[in-house]
Amino acid sequence: MSQILPKKNLKQLLSNWAASYEIYAPQQLEKFAHFMPTNGSELLYIDEQHNTRFPPKALFLPQSETLMKYTRFGAAQETIPESKPRIVFGIRPCDAKAVDLLNLMFLTEKDSDPYYQARRKKTALIGIGCNIPCPSCFCTTVESGPFGRQGMDALLTDLEDIYLVRTLTQTGKTLFAEYPEATEAQEAEAKAVQQRSLKLIDPAFETKGLKAKLDSNFENALWQKFADSCLGCGICTFLCPTCFCFDIADEAQRKERVRNWDTCMFRTYSLEASQHNPRPTRRERTRQRVMHKFSYWLDHVNKIGCTGCGRCVRYCPVGLDIRAMLREFNQLEAEVANG
Amino acid sequence: MTDLESKLTAEIANLLDDKKVDVFIAFKKAESPLHPQPAFFTESNQLGDFVYNSLCQNNLAAFIPRYPLSARIGMVVRGCENRAVNHLVVEKQHARENIFMIGVPCEGLVDWHKLVNRFGEEMIAVDEAKDEIMISYRDRQIRAPRQELLHDSCLRCVHPNPLSADVTIGELKPEGDPTLARTEVAAFSALDNAARHAWFRKEAERCIRCYACREACPMCYCTECFVDHGVPRWTESTVSPAGMRAWHIVRAFHQAGRCVSCGACERACPMDIKMTYLTEKLNEDMRTKYQFECGMDDKTQPPFAAFNLDDKNRFEL
Ligand code: SF4
Ligand code: SF4
Ligand code: SF4
Ligand code: SF4
Ligand code: SF4
Repeated sequence: MSQILPKKNLKQLLSNWAASYEIYAPQQLEKFAHFMPTNGSELLYIDEQHNTRFPPKALFLPQSETLMKYTRFGAAQETIPESKPRIVFGIRPCDAKAVDLLNLMFLTEKDSDPYYQARRKKTALIGIGCNIPCPSCFCTTVESGPFGRQGMDALLTDLEDIYLVRTLTQTGKTLFAEYPEATEAQEAEAKAVQQRSLKLIDPAFETKGLKAKLDSNFENALWQKFADSCLGCGICTFLCPTCFCFDIADEAQRKERVRNWDTCMFRTYSLEASQHNPRPTRRERTRQRVMHKFSYWLDHVNKIGCTGCGRCVRYCPVGLDIRAMLREFNQLEAEVANG
Repeated sequence: MTDLESKLTAEIANLLDDKKVDVFIAFKKAESPLHPQPAFFTESNQLGDFVYNSLCQNNLAAFIPRYPLSARIGMVVRGCENRAVNHLVVEKQHARENIFMIGVPCEGLVDWHKLVNRFGEEMIAVDEAKDEIMISYRDRQIRAPRQELLHDSCLRCVHPNPLSADVTIGELKPEGDPTLARTEVAAFSALDNAARHAWFRKEAERCIRCYACREACPMCYCTECFVDHGVPRWTESTVSPAGMRAWHIVRAFHQAGRCVSCGACERACPMDIKMTYLTEKLNEDMRTKYQFECGMDDKTQPPFAAFNLDDKNRFEL
């Protein structure tokens, strides 16, 4: 059962929410979509088919975050954020699922990260499905889809003048309480839009047995081949909604201990104080990124650590495509098995 | 395969078959329609994937410092890449006699940012004719004038022709208009300090410090960049305004007299950050104050790297 939110009411709804929530929604930064705060008066950038360049994980795990402040001789003071309740509006299914995956890292029963927790616990995710998926998207390959609901409190389907709102949690129900129920015809229309979109996404690679193939080809020459083109930049991992690696540093001039995103693609990533680096070249680093998402994540939490958002595919400056890499591994093992 | 691509393929195949080079650095087709992939051909039978078009956005000279000086490298070079190779030779990053350049007079590169920002991410293919770019979607095709989609660095390119290639394929182009090249620098320089600062901050402060600009630049080959240096630390580690500004200003200054205006840094940036206005300003200063242009030959040291005991000039910056 769903409700109807006329698009013309959206601004009003956001400004109503703004009284008790901090709201973040995609808006135009330069020419691309970017999550920014809004109180309803800003122009949103969600009718465009594209997702934001920068992943919304940053709203939960900021790229740089102060963990504590200290004085020269005094005690340290932790700086756990005290945020108002928040709404992230217009998050795409791949990114909402990614937040759910991040929960597995930062919100475990026995060991929660208080900084992440403070933000995540107070945040509702209102998602919007993708009517026209990009050719670089492969959510359906990794157990999600253009109208996937995982991690969301409500999911919107864009039906030209209205959004069909499917509430998924109590929070979602409360937020949309005042909106009327959808008619059967509207439900059917939404279903048609969803199915049309689903059909536009081709399976990108076979995930069944992929982990075993990767594991058994740890020393395969393909890694070197991929690494040859790789620049070793931070794009594919910083823009990835599930990458969560960080590094802790002291900003002594500000007397702050901070954590910054780090990435296995940087040459400094696993550099040890002795100057030994267990991942000394791009080969080991490229391998780490792919293996982490498609093998080690499975070892740890039995989930693939990729939601198919396609950012690493779209923005890699050298066109290194994780889908193509994985297909080569699939292929390879098949050859061995045949031969 | 275009006519140019077939000629290039034949030329590269000869080099590889005759064992004149150990590796030939060029581009191959990738699944993403916007980003052909740098490729490292060692046998002529690998050339089936070879592509050469205006979406080949990287400056391939950036891969040269990865090889030992003795490696015999072949490359397809445009004007800027030829100048980058020259300058890498000046900086002793490779031996000129171990590089074989096939030069192609350059028509300019299509900027993927301009494509995506105008036509969206749903493009499934991008093709080109002489003056037009054809963008295909699942259900339709659009055409746009090529000129409108060229990268800014290409729009203002002064030397599109390879200067010292070993072979050149295609007709030489007329040199670019240097006054046009200087309009952005002039616009920036004409601003007062506050406005310049605002311009700089607007660009620098959306940086995510992914360092793709650095990794894409042929001149950024330091094995340890100043931002990665731990003891002492030269910049803040965070994406604070101070950290980002330090990164942008020092990166630009490290290019003084070393930048070949290829724009590869800007094209790699995922956040559409403009940074060539800074390096172009330095290039302009090099031209006007020191009569130096980077990469015009493979011998001349840039002014800030040259050292002469008999120097009679006053210190000036
Ligand atoms: S690995 Fe790539 S496609 Fe997968 S979630 Fe990360 S950025 Fe998206
Ligand atoms: S190891 Fe690499 S792939 Fe894995 S989360 Fe960290 S940055 Fe991402
Ligand atoms: S974005 Fe591309 S070039 Fe950069 S580290 Fe990732 S795979 Fe390498
Ligand atoms: S700074 Fe930019 S424009 Fe200059 S050489 Fe490097 S990549 Fe090319
Ligand atoms: S490529 Fe862009 S975002 Fe990345 S470090 Fe350079 S300027 Fe910053």
